[in-house]
Amino acid sequence: MTRYIVKRLGTSLVTLLFVILLTFVLMHSVPGGPFAQEKEAPPEVLDALNAKYHLDQPLVVQFFEYLGGLLRFELGPSFKYTGRTVNDFIVNGAPFSMRLGLITLVFVLIAAIPMGILAARRNGRWPDAVVMIIATLGITIPSFVAAAGLMYVFAYRLNWVPTFGLDKPTSYILPVLALGGYSLSFLARLMRSSLLEVMGQDYIRTARAKGLSEVRVITRHALRNAIIPVLTVLGPTVAGLLTGSFVIEKIFAIPGMGSYFVDSVTQRDYTTIMGMTTFYAAFLITMVFVVDLFYRLVDPRIELG
Amino acid sequence: MTIRKMIAAASLAALALTLGACADEPSDEPAKSGGQAGAQEIVFALHNTPDGIDPNITSNSFAAPIIFNTFECLVTYSTTDGALIPGQAESWDISDDGLTYTFHLREGLKWSDGSALTASDFVYSAQRVLTPSTTAQYVGLYTDYVVGAQELYDDASQTDGLGIKAADDTTLTIELKAPTPFFIDIVGMWAWSPVQQATIEANGDQWTNEAASYVSNGPFKMDEVNLGESYVLVKNPNYWDAANVKLEKITFRMIPDPSTALAAFEGGEIDGQLTVPSSDIARLKTSDSGLVVTPAYSTTWYNINNAKAPYDNPLVRKALSLAVDREALVNEVLQNGGTPAFSPVAPGYSVDGVEYSEGRSDFGLSATADPEAAKAALAEAGYPGGEGFPTLQLSYYTDDTVKLMTEALADQFETNLGINVEISNEDWAVYYDNVQAGNYEVGAMGWGADYFHPMTFLQLLQTDDVNNNVFYSNLEYDALVIQAQAETDPAVAMDLMRQADELSAAEYPVLCLFYRANMMLVSPELKGVYRTVLNNLYFRSAYLEG
Repeated sequence: MTRYIVKRLGTSLVTLLFVILLTFVLMHSVPGGPFAQEKEAPPEVLDALNAKYHLDQPLVVQFFEYLGGLLRFELGPSFKYTGRTVNDFIVNGAPFSMRLGLITLVFVLIAAIPMGILAARRNGRWPDAVVMIIATLGITIPSFVAAAGLMYVFAYRLNWVPTFGLDKPTSYILPVLALGGYSLSFLARLMRSSLLEVMGQDYIRTARAKGLSEVRVITRHALRNAIIPVLTVLGPTVAGLLTGSFVIEKIFAIPGMGSYFVDSVTQRDYTTIMGMTTFYAAFLITMVFVVDLFYRLVDPRIELG
Repeated sequence: MTIRKMIAAASLAALALTLGACADEPSDEPAKSGGQAGAQEIVFALHNTPDGIDPNITSNSFAAPIIFNTFECLVTYSTTDGALIPGQAESWDISDDGLTYTFHLREGLKWSDGSALTASDFVYSAQRVLTPSTTAQYVGLYTDYVVGAQELYDDASQTDGLGIKAADDTTLTIELKAPTPFFIDIVGMWAWSPVQQATIEANGDQWTNEAASYVSNGPFKMDEVNLGESYVLVKNPNYWDAANVKLEKITFRMIPDPSTALAAFEGGEIDGQLTVPSSDIARLKTSDSGLVVTPAYSTTWYNINNAKAPYDNPLVRKALSLAVDREALVNEVLQNGGTPAFSPVAPGYSVDGVEYSEGRSDFGLSATADPEAAKAALAEAGYPGGEGFPTLQLSYYTDDTVKLMTEALADQFETNLGINVEISNEDWAVYYDNVQAGNYEVGAMGWGADYFHPMTFLQLLQTDDVNNNVFYSNLEYDALVIQAQAETDPAVAMDLMRQADELSAAEYPVLCLFYRANMMLVSPELKGVYRTVLNNLYFRSAYLEG
């Protein structure tokens, strides 16, 4: 187990390094620079800016300077927002994104797994149809459409919940529904199909033949295997939900991390692009790693290493 | 368990978790309009986080609502008619040769932290702008006009030569390189705000990050900086005119999507918002909703590359200008409250009660398209019926509104001139690089004035101007502009500027479309909010009624 963890840490670091290098190269090969303003700054100012942010150095030097900063957990100053560092963006934005993401995740798990089980158990009958209709809608309706629709009905027309922000407990309802809709539907469908497959296997017939109750058959025998595909996609899902959604955060004016992922690219804010990508990559790698460890808990037959 | 029970249970559980997770959060709910009677607290939605709120550094227009309410320059603008009025300076004298400005500061000026503000604070601020490592984006507002400013910028030891001096605590003199009739407008721009040396030396470029270190001298002071979320301003008791400031608290909340802000505005959650989603303008116009339309001192046009055939031919540029239906563009496509433009210079500036654009020619253009005249001009240029005319490359920077406008334009060119049009777009950073390098034929552009004087537009078409991206060159025009700049009599200068304007506009260097208007929403209970033509948004006279 220890050997496995050490090995995985090693490969994770290599992956991360590769992501950083690739982002760096891609970023600098995209035309346009970070200091384009609404109005042209005089050349002296551009020179001063380039000097301030070390953009006048060779790219190789810049890259290793960046890596050096990373080792000290310094993601560097933002090129766009004077006096701000990329650490500021994460430190200020993460609590919003993570809180919303965590609540959404819990909501998704609590709703999706029972929905999937129910649909599988009542396969072909009306509960199955209802779950599948909800799940199909959730997958096909883009989150921004759902967000706008929910906002129109519940905040604008009915005035039940606030329109924007996360200032009150009720503020969470709409963003959670809009953000979680896709994952909820996807996981419910996955749970359903995976359980259906397991339920057709011999050992389930054996369990039933022993005279076990249906509840026991499902919880003790079927679920343990059926949940593995769900666990597999859970890693990326968790990373995606917790690091913030650009669209949802924009529509509901939530000051999370989501906007920095997109805005930094259009603004060519180099350090922010690097910092956010690295942060997301590291988080994703960690989540996948955690999920892999979970496999073993669920199914002892899975060998790690 | 039935499905209904199951879903109900699941949502209840999720809700319970939500409530639980939030219970321990500090509740800093924004003040709402129509709350307790008499509470002068408002929430006003902005849509973009500015790139900084250091008045010496940023030129970002998104910073305007924050900087103009926390800082005050030597002069400011009236919140009843937008006229230039005394700010930190009580009065000023201009020498007969127009080269020396002497400002007399008000007695007893203070910073928001209570310390004294003197003329030397303005000198410090100027020196800070003129230090390259400050990376002041508006450094040109000093180096273009003030004696010794460029020299100091180039060589840090040249502080003695700088023509900005504090004679005593309340007297500031500024020496100019050449007479500049609009210089008084220049010192009203935020780059000329004083900043406090003590806080900057203590906090470096992080001084704008925290309310405590964001020391200012305007009607309001910073109370909270919540990155990406809000700037909370409270009344500054140390402001010289604090007795007349009625609002106690302004929360500038960042709501990136104007449609969200509109829903919040109509639900009474916020008291105003800076922009209005264009799809709702028609509806808002017909109702008593609080829509406020103010003219802006800025113009939208399309650059035409004057250096590139066939666009080097004024007749071709004229044909393009004639082919455009400006009225349809403004009223139907964009619905933005703009007015058709035939010259780059926006109207509004007046000298002795005479408005700049009074009696200006329309240069043969009209608010609607004139396909006959357009075709005739194109034929005269050698392309009868559009025959032999190369495919027009029409480019724009990625933006939903500009996209709409560009598509409408392309359609009008094709219909009214019989030419082919190819549209392309790029992110602003890439687009602007290409425009500067001349890698374009016709492309979306415009100009928002820096200061309220026609010269801000006229400079753009000077042969050597850094912002002349259309590569128009007319030596007679250049001479007239230089002459107008040096003229100390405002009426004579106005006449020279009009001549220059008429001269260039008759050669159609750019494809003028419309003069912009700003639209915002202000709750009917919120009175006294004033937006100037330069987009300065002042709350110092604002108050909630009832």
